[in-house]
Amino acid sequence: MAAVPLFATLFPTWLFWLPLAGVFITYAGCRAHLPESDAAAFWGWVFVWPALAMMLTWNIFPSLFALWISLFDRFNFIGESQYVGLQNYRILMHDPLFWRALSNTFWYVAFTVPVGILLGTLVAILLNERIRLLGLYRTIYFLPYITALTAAAAVWQWIYHPEFGFLNWLLNTPGLDWLHTPDGVIGLALKPFGIELQGFWAGPSVAFVAIMIMSVWHFLGYNIVILLAGLQSIPTQYYEAAELDGAGWWQKQRYVTWPLLSPTTFFLAIIGLIGSFQVFTQVYVMTPTGGVLNDTLTVAMYLYNKGFRDSDFSYASALAVTMFLVILALTLFQRKVLEKRVTYEQ
Amino acid sequence: MSSSLRRLISRLLIYLVLTAGAVVMAFPFYWMLATSVKSPQEAQQAAPIWFPERIKPVNWKVAARLGAEGGSRWWGGFAPGRSVTLHIKADDPSAGEPRSRIPKPPAAFSDPRSESTKIEIERVADGWQVVLTNTGEQTFTTIPLTVWIPKEAGEFSAELPPDAIRSQRGYWRLEWVNASPGLFGYLFHNYREAWHAAPFSRYFFVSFFTASMQVLGGLLFATMAAFAFARIRFPGREAVFLLFVATMMIPGEVLLIPNYILLAKLHWLDTFYALIVPWLASVFGIFLLRQFFLSLPQDLFDAARIDGASYWSMLWRIAFPLAVPGLITYGIFAFLGAYNALLWPLIVTQSPEMRTIQVGLQAFIGEAGSDYGQLMAASTMAILPIIIGYFFAQKHFIQGIARSGIK
Repeated sequence: MAAVPLFATLFPTWLFWLPLAGVFITYAGCRAHLPESDAAAFWGWVFVWPALAMMLTWNIFPSLFALWISLFDRFNFIGESQYVGLQNYRILMHDPLFWRALSNTFWYVAFTVPVGILLGTLVAILLNERIRLLGLYRTIYFLPYITALTAAAAVWQWIYHPEFGFLNWLLNTPGLDWLHTPDGVIGLALKPFGIELQGFWAGPSVAFVAIMIMSVWHFLGYNIVILLAGLQSIPTQYYEAAELDGAGWWQKQRYVTWPLLSPTTFFLAIIGLIGSFQVFTQVYVMTPTGGVLNDTLTVAMYLYNKGFRDSDFSYASALAVTMFLVILALTLFQRKVLEKRVTYEQ
Repeated sequence: MSSSLRRLISRLLIYLVLTAGAVVMAFPFYWMLATSVKSPQEAQQAAPIWFPERIKPVNWKVAARLGAEGGSRWWGGFAPGRSVTLHIKADDPSAGEPRSRIPKPPAAFSDPRSESTKIEIERVADGWQVVLTNTGEQTFTTIPLTVWIPKEAGEFSAELPPDAIRSQRGYWRLEWVNASPGLFGYLFHNYREAWHAAPFSRYFFVSFFTASMQVLGGLLFATMAAFAFARIRFPGREAVFLLFVATMMIPGEVLLIPNYILLAKLHWLDTFYALIVPWLASVFGIFLLRQFFLSLPQDLFDAARIDGASYWSMLWRIAFPLAVPGLITYGIFAFLGAYNALLWPLIVTQSPEMRTIQVGLQAFIGEAGSDYGQLMAASTMAILPIIIGYFFAQKHFIQGIARSGIK
């Protein structure tokens, strides 16, 4: 518990405002004699200070604090806790649930991000073909994105309902309980060929794929709007030139649209990676317990369970820090590998 | 000729793909709305019911008449001294006597609704008339009704379709959740039930208050900081800006636990402070508005400076009015984020009075059980404010998103 008083002394908020008041009074006293650069310095800091104070209080110090308490043994509000160094991380490395959550999250990212970008590109290209009713189509594709995930997850849960769900009627699979089927889809697909896959290689469970489909439905509209804006910023001369060279529709998309759209796709890939890695709401609403055999447990959900169900703040913080490192590593990797293939227009 | 034919086909193909996609995208919304006006029996069918009884105008007319008899044409009700008459047609009404009852809520000690209601069943030429009369002093908002019809009576049809039909020995058991609904009371029955099943008005208040405060505070802080970054040269600017950029790297999950501990130490858990204060500064908002301020011509500010304007008045008199589109974009984003958030309010609130609409809905999903009509009604209510807002400010939504993507 030693860490808390140390940290808490920083937080009577008036401590932020008291020096500010002092500076203001001084400034008011000698405003007339101040050179231009001092006035700029004064007002610059006055304007930045509230936002900076907020960032320091709620983002920057807490991040460091998370790192700090991850080094303690079972830090919570009850009882003593002591410094144990990297022990939480050591436990984490051997925690099967953590690896389960990580591989689930990996599959989630690997599915939703590319599918979201490809579908989004297809729809955006079609919408960009000077069609009628553009506004209507765009609205329909966009509405899921502004719909609250909680409500959307409730609707999809109803669609996936084993007895009365719409999907089972549509596919004529009565009684199939989508959200409680823990078998991996790759494993299921390869089973008829006599290949038995286990664990990670069996792929995401049917339940998790159902959640992924719902997620793609939810954020597709965002991708479409961004890609449409990207498409509209491609100068038409390129297409005219390609037409003169006798390029067909497909060739135009392949050799003009795709490369010139790559900065936008790259942006979406990064944003998608970071966002997908933190997936929580739809999983929590559709499978509150993390599914059968934890088949839909994600890293964010595991963190929530550890921190706020089991009140093990240290372990949850170690999880959070690890998550940050993984996202950071993946983003850097993505930058290194993908960005080479991005064509920035001169 | 063949090239124009090919053009036509390709156009058709484009529309076909787009429409197919749009159907898939829009279907969950349709399904939510359709289920929200279904009775439990309609919702729980193996084959989906595309048009529930409650959206058919023929039934609205009957519902309005029954509502007018019991109370009001729109919201129905059952006032003292009023009688409601429901016709049920049957092939052979003389074959047997129907029975009728006002169902009591399960485990109720006493039920004034059934005790003060007199039920009479009269035989008429083509069937029966069920007449309910309120002999008590109380006004009821709804009056449920169950009627048993002998199976020997053959085919039957009630003027207001029953919400459930079940077979019970020699009888058909017809159930109405409300025999005097009125037009809206009929159509929005599930909405009204859901609204009273949980304190949704409080949930909405908490959500709107939280989101509005976040927007107002966020706008103030972001405008000031963005202006400083864009238009004032002050020592340390680059360093602070770099610090802000660096915070974008931190995923929100890292902050959950330390911020929770901090709020606990401040005794702010389960208060509005916990919902609002941690979200007041937004790097996204600062970046967005900074771009706006950077795009304004420098001459404007030089001229103001020569005229003796201070930075304070430059910000609020010149830069602020010109950045209104950016402010709206940021405002919409901040509101949307606050209104749709689940994880953070779930963590920092405990009491039902402090639940936002998303947390309330999440709790309701657990409590509503198998009443999918009410659940979908509650979901519809939860997303309605944002959808309405979208139709009013469509352009800002779309442009705002597009702007967030182009750097």
